[in-house]
Amino acid sequence: MEKNQVQRLPAEQLFQEEINALIAAETDPVPKGWKMSPRSVRTYICGGKAGNMSITPKYIGQERLVEIAIATLVTDRALLLIGEPGTAKSWLSEHLAAAINGDSTKVIQGTAGTTEEQIRYSWNYAMLIAQGPSLEAMLKSPVLTAMETGTIARVEEISRCASEVQDALISILSEKRVSIPELGMEVPAQKGFSVIATANTRDKGVNEMSAALKRRFNIVVLPTPADLDAEMEIVKTRVEQQAGGLDLNAKLPSAEVVEKVCTIFRELRCGETLDRSQKVKATSGVLSTAESISLLCNSMALAGSFGNGDITDYDLAAGLQGAVVKEEEKDAIAWKEYLENVMKKRGSRWSGLYRACRELNK
Amino acid sequence: MMEREPFFFGIRHLSPAGAFYLRQLLARRRPRMVLVEGPCDLGDEMVHMRKTQSQPPMAVLAYTKEAPIRTILYPFASYSPEYQAILWCGEHNVECRFMDLPTDVFLALPAREDIPEEEKAGEEERFQVYRALDLRCGEDGHETFWERTLEQAASMEGYREGANLFGRYIRELTGENDRDWEEIRLREAWMRGQIRKAVAEGIPPEEILVVTGAYHVEGLQNWEQMPDPEEEKLLQELPRAASSHTLMPYSDYRLSSRSGYGAGNKAPAYYGLLWEALHGKDPMYATYCYLARIAGFQRKSGSPVSSAEVIEAVRLSVELAQMRGGQIPALRDLRDAAVTCLGGGHFASISLAVADTEIGTRIGSLPEGVSRTSIQEDFYRQMKEWKLEKYRDITAQDLALDLREKRNVASEKSAFLDLHRSFFLHRLRVLGVSFATQGKHVQDNATWAEHWQLRWTPEAEIQLVESALKGDTILQAVAFQMKETMEGAGNLGSMAQVIEDAFLCGMPAAAGQATDALAHKAVDAISLEELARTVERLSVVIRYGNIRQVDEKPLVPVLGRIFYRACLLLPGACVCDDGASNVVITAMQQLNGAALAHDFLDQEGWKAALSQVADRDDLNTRISGFAAAVLLERGLMDTRQLQTEVGRRLSPGMPADLGAGWFEGLAMKNRYALIARLSLWESLDGYLDTLDQEEFKRALVFLRRAFADFTAREKDEIAENLGEIWHLNGSQVSEVLNSVLGEEESGLLESLEDFDFDL
Repeated sequence: MEKNQVQRLPAEQLFQEEINALIAAETDPVPKGWKMSPRSVRTYICGGKAGNMSITPKYIGQERLVEIAIATLVTDRALLLIGEPGTAKSWLSEHLAAAINGDSTKVIQGTAGTTEEQIRYSWNYAMLIAQGPSLEAMLKSPVLTAMETGTIARVEEISRCASEVQDALISILSEKRVSIPELGMEVPAQKGFSVIATANTRDKGVNEMSAALKRRFNIVVLPTPADLDAEMEIVKTRVEQQAGGLDLNAKLPSAEVVEKVCTIFRELRCGETLDRSQKVKATSGVLSTAESISLLCNSMALAGSFGNGDITDYDLAAGLQGAVVKEEEKDAIAWKEYLENVMKKRGSRWSGLYRACRELNK
Repeated sequence: MMEREPFFFGIRHLSPAGAFYLRQLLARRRPRMVLVEGPCDLGDEMVHMRKTQSQPPMAVLAYTKEAPIRTILYPFASYSPEYQAILWCGEHNVECRFMDLPTDVFLALPAREDIPEEEKAGEEERFQVYRALDLRCGEDGHETFWERTLEQAASMEGYREGANLFGRYIRELTGENDRDWEEIRLREAWMRGQIRKAVAEGIPPEEILVVTGAYHVEGLQNWEQMPDPEEEKLLQELPRAASSHTLMPYSDYRLSSRSGYGAGNKAPAYYGLLWEALHGKDPMYATYCYLARIAGFQRKSGSPVSSAEVIEAVRLSVELAQMRGGQIPALRDLRDAAVTCLGGGHFASISLAVADTEIGTRIGSLPEGVSRTSIQEDFYRQMKEWKLEKYRDITAQDLALDLREKRNVASEKSAFLDLHRSFFLHRLRVLGVSFATQGKHVQDNATWAEHWQLRWTPEAEIQLVESALKGDTILQAVAFQMKETMEGAGNLGSMAQVIEDAFLCGMPAAAGQATDALAHKAVDAISLEELARTVERLSVVIRYGNIRQVDEKPLVPVLGRIFYRACLLLPGACVCDDGASNVVITAMQQLNGAALAHDFLDQEGWKAALSQVADRDDLNTRISGFAAAVLLERGLMDTRQLQTEVGRRLSPGMPADLGAGWFEGLAMKNRYALIARLSLWESLDGYLDTLDQEEFKRALVFLRRAFADFTAREKDEIAENLGEIWHLNGSQVSEVLNSVLGEEESGLLESLEDFDFDL
C-alpha cells in the first residue's frame, strides 16, 4: 500500500526519520526490549536534538509528566494516563509506544462491547472445531503478543470497558503471565512488556476502575493547558502538522485566529473571562484543546473548498457554532449570552467574528 | 613553601552535605581559629548553642531597642554548617568567631519595603540569573539543581569546588548590578578586616578556617590587600540602631516558612533525613524514610497504602533520578513518585502527608535561663509572683479561679491572688501566647469564676519571645497590641472586643482609650447586628466590671448612645426574609438583655421600637411575633391587646406563612404565659380551620418548627387547652401529641420537608 494513500499513518512511520536519528545518536544505556534510552524517548516526545537533526516536540506541556511516564515504563510498571477529553492521552500513549518499541499498533480500543477474550486470547472457531485446540487455532490479543515479544501494549479508553473486562488485566499485570488451560501451557511476559492505558474522567458512559486495578498502575494525570499561551502553542503546532497531511488548499490560521478560538474555548471551559472580571455560563461540552484543533482544520477546509483559502470570520463562526452548541436548548442560550455579554464588548478586533456568530444565531 | 592563606569553605546555609563535609575538613585541618559568617556581636550566644540541652532548630533574634521595632533572625538547624562549626570548636577548644557586620548595622539598613520600586531592578537581575541557570542545567528549580549537584556530592572536595564555582558564576553574572551590591561590598570589606584582625592577633593565616556563603568566597580571598580608605570611612560611618539579641527555640515549620537567609529551606524535615543519612546510613536512607513516612501518614488518615506500592514508588523515584543523570533520588523525584504511586496521580490526595514529611513538626529547645528577653524575665517573675510555676509543664492542667476577694487572708495580694492570675492569663491570651486557654463557664452566671487550661509548649515560648518586640514587659506589650488593634479595627465589634479585653486584663487606661475611640466611631454607619453585639459586650463589662476592680463609669454614656441608635435602626432592619430574621431576633435578645440590666438605658425608646415592630404589618411577621413576645414578657402588653393582636394576625384569609410565622415568633418566649391563655389557642384553632388543604400544609411547616423545642410537659398543657376547646379528655389529646409518630405520619411529614414555597 502506498504510504500517502493511508489516511493516518501510525506514529512510528510518520516520524520514522526522527526515530532512526535518535537511535543512531544514542549514547545512554538502552533498557532491555527498548529501541532507545529513556532520555532519547524524552527527546523524541518533548523535542530537542539528535545529532544534527532537530526533533519536533510531540507533547507540549509539563516535561516532568513525560519523564514520570517514561520512568514508569522503565520500571516495568503499567502506566495509566488519566485526563479530561482532549488532553493528548492517546497521543502521548501512541508516541511512547512508537519511540520505545518502534511499534504503536498493539492496541485494544476499549468499548462497552469489549470482551475478556479480546484482552487475553480467542479462537479461530472453524479451526478449533476441525482440529481441536492448537497454537495455530488460537488468536492472540495484542496484550498477549506484547507479552511474548516483550513490548508495550496499549489499551485505549479502558474505563469504557465493563468492570469485569477491565479486571482481566489485574492478573496479567501482577503475575506477568497468561495461562492457556486449553493447551496446558503458560505464556510468560518477556522483559520489556508493559501496558499503557488511557482513561477519561469526564465523559458520560464510563465505568469506575476498581481499586485493585488502579493499584497495578502508576497513574499520571494529564492537565489541560496551563495558560492561553501554552494552549495556543499546542493548537498552532498540531494544526500545522494535521493540515500538512490533508491537502486543504488553505493558508494556516493566523496567530490572531488561533488566539480568538483558544480564548473562547478557555473562557467557556473555565466559566469566567480570562481577566477573571466576568462570569460566563459554561456549556455542556468539554471544549477540549483537541476540539479547537479540529475546529481550525475544519475552518481551513471550509476556506479552502468554498473560499479563497483565507479563514474568514464566517468560516470560524460556523465551526464555533458546531463546537459550542452541543445540546440545542442549554448551550444555545449560553453561547448567545457569551456573544452579547463578552464578545460584543471586546471592541473592533472581535467585531467581525461577533457579527458572523450572531448571524448564525438569529 | 607552605601556603600562607586561610582556608575558605564556601557553603550554602542549611546544607546537610555542607555541614557533614565541614566537620570532616575541620577534623583534618585542625585550625586554630574558625571564622563564621554571622553578625560579630552575636558571639556570646555560641556558649548557649553548645550546651547539651540545646536542641536545634534554634535561632538568634536581634531586635532594635526603640520603635519602630525591626528584627533580624538567624536560624540554625542541626545541619547548618555554621552550627556544626560552632559545635566542633566547642568540642575541640578552638576559638570560633562570627565575622559579619554587627546587628546594629543590619537593623539600620533601610527595610526592603521602603526601597523605591525603580531600585528593585537589581533583584530581578539575580532572579534572572537563577532562572537561566536552571534552564542551562535542565532542571526545574534551582533547589533541585542544588540538591543534585551539591547535596549529593560524593566528597568534600567535590562539594567545595562545586559550591565555589556556583558562587563565582552567580557573582560574575550579577556583578555590580545586584541591588544589594553596595551592602555586599561593605560586608565583605568588613569580613576581610576581621580576617586581618585575626592574623594581626598572631594566628598564622593558614591556621584560620573561614566558613561563609559560597557567594562570598571570592570577595574574601584578597583579604590581605590594604583596605580602600574610602570604604574604611564608609564602614566607620555606617548608621547604627541600638539592638539586643536573644537565642530562641525555633521550629521546623518556621524554618520552612521564613528563613533569615536568601537560601531558604522548604523541606526542613527532609533535609534532616539527608543529614541522618550522611551518618553511616544507607545513601538511600532518605528515600526509604520519605516514602515510608508518606505511606504511614496515609494509612493513619484512613487511605490504605500497601508496602508493594511503596516499593514501586522507590523504584520509580530511582528511575526518575537516573533520567536526570543521578543515582539517588532528589526531593522532586520522591515527591513525583509519591504522587504517581501513592496518590493516584493527584497531588491533593497526599498533600497533607507531604507537608508532614517534608516540613515536619520538630521544635527546638533551650536550657532554662538561656533565652531571656526582658519580656521573658517579666513573664517568669510574674509566674513566680502569682504562684503559677507548677503549671509550666508540657501536660495540660486545669486551673479554676475565684475572682472574689478572700477576706480571711493577711495581705491584699493574696486576697486578690486569683484576680491577678486572671489578669495575667488574659494578658497572655491577648498577646497570642498559647499558654492558657479559657474554658467555658460551668455555672451560667458565676461571673466570679473562671476556668483555664494551662499547657507550656516551646511554641508558646517562641510566641513570648516574639512579643518582646511589642514591649519590655507583658503589660507594655499588651497595651501596644491593643492600640494596634484599635487603630486597625474596621468595625465596632472588634473595638468593643478590645474594651472587653482591657477590662479582663485589668487595664483601665487602655479601656479608657478604647472607649474614646469607640464613642468616636459609633457615629458612622453600622448594622444593627453589630450594634447589638457591641451593646451586649459593653453591658457585660459594666455589669461585672466591679468584680475586676475596674472603673466602668466612662462606658455608661457610650453604651447609652449606641443603645439609642440600635432602637432607631430596629424597625428598618425588620424588613427582611425569614433567613435573615434570625439575625435580627438575636440582636433583639441582646438589646433586651441590656435594657433589662441597665436602668439608665432609654427604656421608653426601646418600648417604642418594640411596639412599632409588633404593630406594623409590613415587616417580617416572625420578628413582629417575637416583638410581641418581648412586650408581653415585660408586661408592656396586656391580655386585651394580645387578644386583638392574635385576632388580627390569625384572621381568616391571612396567608399561612404570615399567620403561622407570626405565631412562631410569638412562641419563642414566655411559653407559660401563652399556654395559660385559653383564648389564644381558640384563635389559633379557628384560624387553622379556615385554611384550605394547601395552605394548611404551609402552616404546618411553621407550627412544627414553633413547637419543636417545647417540652413534654408544655405539650401536655397545650393538650389540656386543646382538649377543652375540642371538648375532649386532656390526657387523650396529650397521648396523641406526645406519642412517637407512626410510619404514615412520618412519611407525610417528610413530604413536607421539601415543600415548595414558591408554588
